[in-house]
Amino acid sequence: MSAAFVSTSYLGTAMLPTVAKVQSSLTNLEVESSTGQYADLGLQLGGQSGYELSLKNENDLLQTLTSGNGLVTTNLTTAQDALNSILSGAQSATASLTSWTSSEVNSGPTLQSLGANALQSLIAMTNSTSGGQYVFGGINSGVAPMADYFSTPTSAAKTAIDTAFQTAFGCLPTDPAASAITASQMQSFLSGPFATQFSGANWTQNWSSASSVNPTAQIAPGETIDASTNANQAGFQQLAQAYTMLSEFGGSQLSSAAQQAVASTANSIITQGLNSVTSTEANVGASLQRVTDANSSMSSQMTILQTQIGNLDNVNAQAVAVQLNTLTTQLQTAYQLTAQLQKLSLAQYLPIA
Amino acid sequence: MSLSAAYNIINSAFLSTAAQTAVISRNISNASTPGYSREIANVLTNSYGGSDVASVTREANSALLEQVNVSTSQAASEQALANGLATLAQSVSDSASSTSTSGATQNGNSPSAMLANLQDALTTYQTSPGSAAAGQAVVTAASDLASSLNSGSATVQQVREQADSDMASSVSTVNSLLNQFSQVDQTIVGGLATGADVSGAEDTRDSILTQLSQQIGVSTTTNANGSTSIYTDSGVTLYQSGVASQLSFTPTPTLTAGMSGNQVSVNGVPITGPSAPMAIQSGALAGLANLRDTVAPEYQAQLDQIAGGLVNAFAESDQSTTTPGLPSLPGLFTYPGATGLPATNGVTGLAASIEVNPAVDPSQGGDLSLLQNGGVNGANYVYNATGSAGYTGRIQQLAAATTSTQSFDPSAGLASSASLNDYANSSVSWLQAQNQQASNGVDYQNSLVSQATSALSNATGVSLDTEMTNMLNIENSYTTTAKLLTTVNDMFTALLNAA
Repeated sequence: MSAAFVSTSYLGTAMLPTVAKVQSSLTNLEVESSTGQYADLGLQLGGQSGYELSLKNENDLLQTLTSGNGLVTTNLTTAQDALNSILSGAQSATASLTSWTSSEVNSGPTLQSLGANALQSLIAMTNSTSGGQYVFGGINSGVAPMADYFSTPTSAAKTAIDTAFQTAFGCLPTDPAASAITASQMQSFLSGPFATQFSGANWTQNWSSASSVNPTAQIAPGETIDASTNANQAGFQQLAQAYTMLSEFGGSQLSSAAQQAVASTANSIITQGLNSVTSTEANVGASLQRVTDANSSMSSQMTILQTQIGNLDNVNAQAVAVQLNTLTTQLQTAYQLTAQLQKLSLAQYLPIA
Repeated sequence: MSLSAAYNIINSAFLSTAAQTAVISRNISNASTPGYSREIANVLTNSYGGSDVASVTREANSALLEQVNVSTSQAASEQALANGLATLAQSVSDSASSTSTSGATQNGNSPSAMLANLQDALTTYQTSPGSAAAGQAVVTAASDLASSLNSGSATVQQVREQADSDMASSVSTVNSLLNQFSQVDQTIVGGLATGADVSGAEDTRDSILTQLSQQIGVSTTTNANGSTSIYTDSGVTLYQSGVASQLSFTPTPTLTAGMSGNQVSVNGVPITGPSAPMAIQSGALAGLANLRDTVAPEYQAQLDQIAGGLVNAFAESDQSTTTPGLPSLPGLFTYPGATGLPATNGVTGLAASIEVNPAVDPSQGGDLSLLQNGGVNGANYVYNATGSAGYTGRIQQLAAATTSTQSFDPSAGLASSASLNDYANSSVSWLQAQNQQASNGVDYQNSLVSQATSALSNATGVSLDTEMTNMLNIENSYTTTAKLLTTVNDMFTALLNAA
């Protein structure tokens, strides 16, 4: 048996496996050139599939977090805007109070309307919503955080304050008998029974439905922030206290000395409130900044992830094109060769007798 | 020497020419028959100086045939495994063609991808806990994940059942081939003893052997009387001196998780399965048994581990302070008949039965708020005690649940301690790596088969050109002999006329 012996059946079929292989490669390459990705990614990546999948999952999660952060930003911005308007309200109130003197005509009603307007605007701002959720409600975001002081029937807060005044002086502020109250008596009432209406159980029962627990939001993997703030903070209590004081006792039957005490006490409490609200606003601003930072860091992370995913998934378009050409040529050669080999038979060259 | 002796020689020349022509004809007619070994007429000088075809030799090459058979067996075994793994890999691939930018993955239907979708849905939900749509999206993602595990488990079962029924048909093919082999082998032994031409029977025997190799890895030995004995590649006798053993196998129509199929045995000796002392190594039967008994159950175990991990990760723990010590119970994910959480080593077949807890699924009359507040298992398991609408603590816990480390049963072939995300990813890696390996194995073994077949064909096949040349030689020899006959005849005539 010589090594040069080639059987006819082999000669005829030698090209078949090549043709079949090239054809199947061609179909794959067609898919790859149209999608830009490997035709069978699982087969291509094998054991790396899980790694590739984890990159994609991480990328998806970052995308979800980024779009969720849009909502968090909206909430925080709403809170920030409300706080800003509360601040400017307080600033104009304290400015008016500083220039106010008890000797002016109609000085009492001025005080009263100043307080009532400021209180109304505080309540409205505190009940700001974003997407149907109260931004100052803490986690209890489904209920308006601050009760309407001026509601009919009389709000619990007003009733409690009236009761406290009655207990202290035996009459209501609108009662002419109230004019007998001295400035020092009023002062001790304001810093005593009246002040307690705006803290502790009285506050949460009569004034606020907010939860002291702030809602949290995850803004980046492993990073959670307070997604909002709540109305149980000192700033809200102090401003409510000062405004109520003005609204209740300004324009009442109180003597001008007592009204002077009310105005100056309110002014100093508003100043405290200003400081508290400013610090709350700073916290909200810091949260907003963290969201922005998280977004930009996640965006650059996503760029890296997508590059890595691309490295795994994507075919080199140029290489595919070259391969396609090579394989087409190879297939043509194989066909040509098969046809030529078929002709190479002695039978073709023998004269048939 | 006499003229009449010349007649005899001429006569034998005609006979030998005819015999050689017959061999050439046979070769030419079988030029394209796979497995045909070309024949050679051995021409000898006979006692009175003429030529005889003393014998016909088959140009066999047992070494190359063995090579073909061994590589055929290996290829068949790899092919059986690769087919099963391709089906399993299909089950994790994204059936909806991958057109979306982020979901453009071929593993889009894997538990891992579904788990990530669930995590995304929870992350969205925690930014808007009041949104019923966001809550519904979580339940939908959870249902998708559960059904991905269910369908994965069903695919494993289907692959195993298919393998089992393929084994049954493989066994019956082997048995019928062994019977055929026995008949042909005895014909050859008898023919050799009486000096008959057995080359045709030998071709048949070789071809039966190659068909047998498709199903089961075999090795052969040839005995002094020309009989061939067959052993499995693990050494169990399949055929010896006229006695063909039979493979016995009882198919199992339904193979749920944890059920093992029956072994194939020869004369009571098991030849498949992990516990078989003489397990066959190649052939379709070996590949199918490996798929049914080892590879597919391992993937099933991984799915069960993922399912168990899910139930554990989303479980609710006791939140009450008045009655401490209540056990944690299944939350978002549960399974029928659950009385507690599955143990680390898992509940066999859990992947087939895991479901979204009906208590949180509005389409089954459940309450979405249980997702936000906890309390699927009653008041003692409520996380949001005040019922606040903006409470996100529990949702954030759930969103992070899949990233915290858990214990897994290492017998499933993956890590024993990993986060659920990582575990699900490794499972995909495992599956695709096996798939890739088997697919490459098939390519490699098929090219070996094609090389061995070419080599065998070149060693034992027919070349029409060679046969043609021989034919021309014989034709010339025939013409010359005829001429010779005429000449001798003329000489006789001359002699007789002279008288």
